[in-house]
Amino acid sequence: MDASQNLYVILGVPPEATQDDIREAYRVAARRFHPDANRNEGADHVFRDIATAYEVLGNPLNRAEYDNARRKFQDEPAYFTLRVTPSKRVLNMLEEPQVLYLLLEIVSMRGAAQQKRQSARLNLTLVLDRSTSMKGARLERVKFAAQQIIEQLTPEDVLSVVTFSDRSDVLIPASTVTDKLALRAMVNMMQADGGTEIFHGLSAGVEQCKRHLGTRMVNHIILLTDGRTFGDEQRCLELANTAAADGISISAMGIGDEWNDAFLDDLASRTGGSTTYINAPSAVVKFLNERVRALGDAYAERLHLTIAPDADVKLESVFRLSPNPQALDITREPVPLGTLEANKTALVLIQLQMPPGHKVGFRTVARLDVTGDILSFGRLGYKVLSDLSVEISESPPPEEPPLAVLDALGKLTLYRMQQKAEQSISKGNLVDGTRQLENLATRLLASGHEELAQMAMVEARRVSNTQSLSEEGRKSLKYGTRMLLALPVPGGEET
Amino acid sequence: MKSCPYCAHVNREGVLFCEECGHPFSGKPVLITSQLMQDEFDNVQGRLTWGTARFDPSSKLVIHIRDVAEPMLLEPTEETLLGRSDDPAQPLVGLDLSPYGAAEHGVSRRHAAIRRGEDTLTLVDLGSTNGTHLNGQRLIPNQPRVLRDGDEIRLGKLIFHIFFK
Repeated sequence: MDASQNLYVILGVPPEATQDDIREAYRVAARRFHPDANRNEGADHVFRDIATAYEVLGNPLNRAEYDNARRKFQDEPAYFTLRVTPSKRVLNMLEEPQVLYLLLEIVSMRGAAQQKRQSARLNLTLVLDRSTSMKGARLERVKFAAQQIIEQLTPEDVLSVVTFSDRSDVLIPASTVTDKLALRAMVNMMQADGGTEIFHGLSAGVEQCKRHLGTRMVNHIILLTDGRTFGDEQRCLELANTAAADGISISAMGIGDEWNDAFLDDLASRTGGSTTYINAPSAVVKFLNERVRALGDAYAERLHLTIAPDADVKLESVFRLSPNPQALDITREPVPLGTLEANKTALVLIQLQMPPGHKVGFRTVARLDVTGDILSFGRLGYKVLSDLSVEISESPPPEEPPLAVLDALGKLTLYRMQQKAEQSISKGNLVDGTRQLENLATRLLASGHEELAQMAMVEARRVSNTQSLSEEGRKSLKYGTRMLLALPVPGGEET
Repeated sequence: MKSCPYCAHVNREGVLFCEECGHPFSGKPVLITSQLMQDEFDNVQGRLTWGTARFDPSSKLVIHIRDVAEPMLLEPTEETLLGRSDDPAQPLVGLDLSPYGAAEHGVSRRHAAIRRGEDTLTLVDLGSTNGTHLNGQRLIPNQPRVLRDGDEIRLGKLIFHIFFK
């Protein structure tokens, strides 16, 4: 019996509840989330938890045993907490569907940084592209960045380095970082030649990372490439799935204009990682170091979010705003979120559609649950859940949407507009695409992002002249608007 | 449902930013005046500021008066008069701007007109006292000018934007 979960919370009853209360709570929960009644992906996941909880608590003997085992978790602190802010607390009763946004904040325990003695132990694998196109400044920068990373690591950390072109070589097999000089010398031996085949490099990288796989470590692969891989995308994605199942996250960095951003986005988001666009070789060092520093600050790893909307509520989209803005794939449950840094907040924006014509009064909307491994306390599979309700009223009081939601959504809207324009243009719908880019420029200008606004205008003009975007402009706009999301949320604490 | 005051796109209830053009629906609009690099601006101005001039038989006109939240939808007739009336009981035939402070803004009774051609709309000043401006340029009375999607029209001091739909 797993006593680490609070089953009472899962059923939504107090610990002193009678058996009748528990049976009733189970009945209500089952009506909400049973797969026969609720077709939403996350509902199935949540219902399994509920069923397990009822199996234990529904039987007085099992319940007593559980209560006993649970005692040692009684004093457990709240390692992280959830805060859910809806765009509206009181909805108008309407005969049409309406959109509701939820801003989910995952807040690490206060003072977690003081309590942890050192930075998290890393099990880091660098998978570095050394194809011919990397020759020159790019490869030199990558070498320099890798050497800096070696300097940053401690003897507790495990590092492996794999290089690839159309084949792969294990430059540094997974080992603890003790002889830094020797490791740095090995990095220096990298030479550019051959094409780009990501699968070779990635599979060798995953294999190295697996050797020291630890539940109390940050298991992470950084993939750095400047080219497009052909024919092996699907295999890479499947590999990412198995890596994610093993608790490995992958972040991807693309240098220059050639690499396939849609593919790398997909690859990274499957594991809770993210993608970064590096437009100049000189930025490689900064981005890589920043990434490794963030990994070292990890407080909780392998965060997973389950969103179970009520049967009549539709989940439309999920976007992680921080750390590392990234659209998340909602067809996968639970959704991998990656790492929570100490004393930081992870932010996720969820868009739901509420059904028309529900009854006046309070109603449940969705249940969110987040699990994660708390590294510095060695607590694995810590789980928190939050059940959201709103009020439906015939005459709701006027209510301004919370600032934090507005701000986050405003920035996300910019990113989405860029995505929409890109889609229109790739479908050959140039008139729409141009207009959408112009709209984007207008909004960017209105929110004070002149440089991006200009870029959007230049691209709009380019589309009407040449019928396509430039690769550089497209990536700059995509990652530029996405980076806006990483800027701090003003008034985020007020809600 | 809620139509966007900027582009008239119809959004679902609860949406906070227009799903078409990104226009914010709530909160105070933040306007930041900023200077574009002059050469960039010169290059794109012709395309950016004015949209299409084509006005199909099925098109409608969305009029967005500055400082008025709700846009107006207008189906232009052969000649739509723009002006004001002195007596609320006898509104102007055409687009009566009296409810929007026409008198204070110096709009004449018969100020200007929008004329519908085969595939276009034109704006003509009817010899108004305080003049008609199209995108900041004062019109010569009785000389029609072609209207484009997104144009700014100023009657006296009353400013509004038009969009084709």
